[in-house]
Amino acid sequence: MTLRTSNHLDGAFDAIYAAIAELNLQLPRNKQIQRRPDIVLFGENGQLDSLALANFIVITEQKLEESFGIQVDLTQDDPFSGQSGHFRTVESLARYASSLAENKTGE
Amino acid sequence: MNSDAFNLRLVSDFNIETLGRYLDHDAAWPRITSAAAPFGQIFPSLLETGIGESDQDFCFIWSSLEGAVPSSRKMLDFDLVDREALFAEVSYFAECVKKCHTRFKATFVASWTVPSFYRGLGILDFQSATGLRRLTLEMNLALVKALEGSAGIYVLDASRWLEITGNPWSPKLWYLSKTPYRSEVFGKAAQELKVAIGTLLGSARKLVVIDLDDTLWGGIIGEVGWENIVLGGHDHRGEAFVDFQRALKSLRNRGILLAIASKNQEEVALQAFQKRPEMLLRLEDFAGWRINWNDKAANIAALASELNLGLQSIVFIDDNPVERARVREALPEVLVPEWPEDRTSYASTLLQLNCFDLPQITDEDRARTQMYIRAREREKGKAEYQSVEAWLHSLETTVTVEELNESNLPRVVQLLNKTNQMNLSTRRMTGNELSEWLKQERRRLWAFRVRDKFSDSGLTGIVSLQADAESCRIVDFLLSCRVMGRDVERVMVAVAIQCCRSLGCAELIAKYLETAKNKPCRDFWMKSGFAYNETESSFSWTAARPYPTPSHIQVIEPGRDQSERELLRSPEGNVSAALL
Repeated sequence: MTLRTSNHLDGAFDAIYAAIAELNLQLPRNKQIQRRPDIVLFGENGQLDSLALANFIVITEQKLEESFGIQVDLTQDDPFSGQSGHFRTVESLARYASSLAENKTGE
Repeated sequence: MNSDAFNLRLVSDFNIETLGRYLDHDAAWPRITSAAAPFGQIFPSLLETGIGESDQDFCFIWSSLEGAVPSSRKMLDFDLVDREALFAEVSYFAECVKKCHTRFKATFVASWTVPSFYRGLGILDFQSATGLRRLTLEMNLALVKALEGSAGIYVLDASRWLEITGNPWSPKLWYLSKTPYRSEVFGKAAQELKVAIGTLLGSARKLVVIDLDDTLWGGIIGEVGWENIVLGGHDHRGEAFVDFQRALKSLRNRGILLAIASKNQEEVALQAFQKRPEMLLRLEDFAGWRINWNDKAANIAALASELNLGLQSIVFIDDNPVERARVREALPEVLVPEWPEDRTSYASTLLQLNCFDLPQITDEDRARTQMYIRAREREKGKAEYQSVEAWLHSLETTVTVEELNESNLPRVVQLLNKTNQMNLSTRRMTGNELSEWLKQERRRLWAFRVRDKFSDSGLTGIVSLQADAESCRIVDFLLSCRVMGRDVERVMVAVAIQCCRSLGCAELIAKYLETAKNKPCRDFWMKSGFAYNETESSFSWTAARPYPTPSHIQVIEPGRDQSERELLRSPEGNVSAALL
């Protein structure tokens, strides 16, 4: 299965938003994560602690697999170090996930 | 922390925080506030003392196999397993659970599971004495047996929570956070824990009201006739309706009442019960019915009134979404589950409902439908008598009074936790708590069994008292709705007064604690003859004054012969001090 780049990015956003909806079930009402590209996920002023981030990664990988039909490993770098910045915001994560998906699908 | 929430201690050898988050953020009743013990320290957590004694209600223990039974690591590694040592460790774990339980009202223990990615010994896994799945089954069974008889400890089937997703285990989550399962598994476990706690708090539904056409059978009987309704036979839809009836019958066998609310002509609809041999459910399986053209919500309310049940005890099943919406809107306390369009899913949808779980099933539960049928006969007979008094006399009611003992404890606890209407204080307690409460000086509890010429209603009433130097206070006064309004209440009051006198107290006081459901209790006490203190919402009686018991009820204390029983009643119809 191959998708064009813009479709990969759209698909990644869709998968991440679906993962956020699922993760919100674990979060208090006043700490639920909004589905917007600029939402800060992890790091300074991030909304996820390390356990929530771990759960979020696994849920997102599952949603990406459902979207793209391929397995995507979002933990090739240490997600907790913050050095890669992939998990900084919803948008940075979407770009990272779509790039991994593109590589996997050969584009 | 929400003051209305129940406290739940989580004990695990893995990171169980995700479960706590699901529980803490679910606003549905019962609200839970969880606190996780440090993970990786399961035995210190089980054996710790002094923590949680005052502020923890429930405990949930979810351990991996090797966390609870260290020798099982060898089993997973195909190392040589000493079975004796393995099962000794299971016993030790069970003893630790029991010790832990002494600090809580109830303790839940998850059964052990083996990750599906362990293939074990393949085709030999159940055959070999050291097969992974065989040993896991045996260890679970050993745990269940070791905990059997420990009141308030419940082993929950964790394998059901893992079925929520095709791949419940996540090695990645394990390495990232020491959490073995995906989020959905914890979400499902949280739901089931809330159901388990709700069950102990008396949330079980008691009555299923069911539609007929296209629900109990296929087709509209008024249009196609009893001969042509779809039921049984060599037809996948007909077989599905029979299976749905079988599922309903299984509920009835557990003590859940069945009733009918159908828009039909009654004599036409009843022909299906009389003439179709494929009908698994017979009319005698139903505690009542309303088959007419009236509003279904009104019919359900009438059934609730007839059966003396609160609306919160009822589940309504109908294939018609309009009828479901109407009942939801008119009777919000009634549970109206969404119903599948696919008739082949009716039985499985019914069997999945988690609102019928009971903390124990007593003989009274199993015989409940028969009791209601007898009650219907009793009420029918009422019209034949000139007065209510004459009718009450005709019932030949006998009330047997007994103390709390091992055999009646489960039923007493069940009544205590589920009776809403005739309940003075609505005090909810576990068996352990009740036994502890009774150990204190000058506290008494009596249980009341009721039978008449129609049926044996079983243990249906409780009175408990607490005395100080001057006065005696009724702590619990509750009676099953099945026998309300037949003067059994007055016998219970008389017993309480006699007990008050024997304890040397001058006055008996009953303080009414209002709930949304116990107005019938207030109505009884207002007519009881006791002096009413409106400010205190309490009722009092001078112990020296005899309390007239109804002459149409025979009061018995087991262990006394007939001549002694006669002594229990004074010429005025008072319960004698011999009872006490």
